Amino acid sequence: MGQVVDQTVTSENWNELTDDQLDVLERKIAGKYLRIVPWGAVVWGFGNTLVWLSLWPLVLLDIMPLWLGFIIATLNCSAAYLPSHEAQHSIIAGKGKPLRWLNELLGHVSLIPFAAPFRFMRATHMEHHKHTNDPDLDVDYGVTARNGWHFLYKSILRRQPGSKGKEAYSAALARTGQNYIMLDALIINIVYISVLFGMAWTGHAIEAALLWWLPKNISLVYIEHYLSWMPHHPGKETSRYGDTRAFKSKLGNIVSMGMQYHIIHHLYPRIPLSLTPAAYRELKPILQRKGCDLGEL
Amino acid sequence: MQHLIKFIFSSTAFAIGFLWPLVAQTLVATNTMPAEPQVWVVAALIVAPFAASAQLRGSWIWVR
Repeated sequence: MGQVVDQTVTSENWNELTDDQLDVLERKIAGKYLRIVPWGAVVWGFGNTLVWLSLWPLVLLDIMPLWLGFIIATLNCSAAYLPSHEAQHSIIAGKGKPLRWLNELLGHVSLIPFAAPFRFMRATHMEHHKHTNDPDLDVDYGVTARNGWHFLYKSILRRQPGSKGKEAYSAALARTGQNYIMLDALIINIVYISVLFGMAWTGHAIEAALLWWLPKNISLVYIEHYLSWMPHHPGKETSRYGDTRAFKSKLGNIVSMGMQYHIIHHLYPRIPLSLTPAAYRELKPILQRKGCDLGEL
Repeated sequence: MQHLIKFIFSSTAFAIGFLWPLVAQTLVATNTMPAEPQVWVVAALIVAPFAASAQLRGSWIWVR
């Protein structure tokens, strides 16, 4: 076995390996990309929030035009989730590790532009990983759609006040005995609403709309499209190698937020986002052998 | 307390707290209307149907 797993997998020999040998080889390759602190994501998370916070005085003091602030704020909100996602998976540092405080701080701070509670996001995201594509248990299953336009239509409907779309999240917390985390969501949302109302009634409604409300809602659709819908489409498979797919984005890897390689994240959630392309390239022959949907990637 | 929280997150509160001043200030900023008290009436008339739909039907855009 040792000899086998030390071999470089090539198109000439990987077909000869047994399933057990493939599993060993897969874990060995994945292991090379684990336990690496993604410092880029740390800088990205804190920097992104700092830039977004700086937009407020810059725009309110007329140093920066509002249209430019809106564009940057939309980019900030769209970029806010992924550093927190690394922290949700304890990629910066797991429990009991010296840098655990940094992991948790990054998780909270990077989500500020997104007005989302870190512990809530982490708890519900873990349920997504456990039950990917399960219509009853996957909290993200509501994004399932026939095509991109259908996704957008459903996304708009899910944001309506009477939508049942968000009930999956509170149900997941109740199911896992983590109802206390709802308090985080309540506090964050009260702060968010208070800022919007306060700004609006002090004559800054347009600034509040273009620096927070609209960017947050645009980025929510964008993030759900690339993180939840695209990698799991058509949302029917629930197996380890079938619940997530690779895909070639017409807009490239950065615009699609690295989600072309999301299949690697679902197989090995602690591989940093920045390393998933390299891990994918190395694991690709094994993924092909496992029957994964790799699209054109 | 529960009623207060429900109200804060209601469509009506969002319409009054945010959308109404947003529409009024947008009308003024785009020079559609002068910055006079009437703009608040017009803004209320624009926002009210959406707010009513959101509160009563559960959708800002009627479709749900």
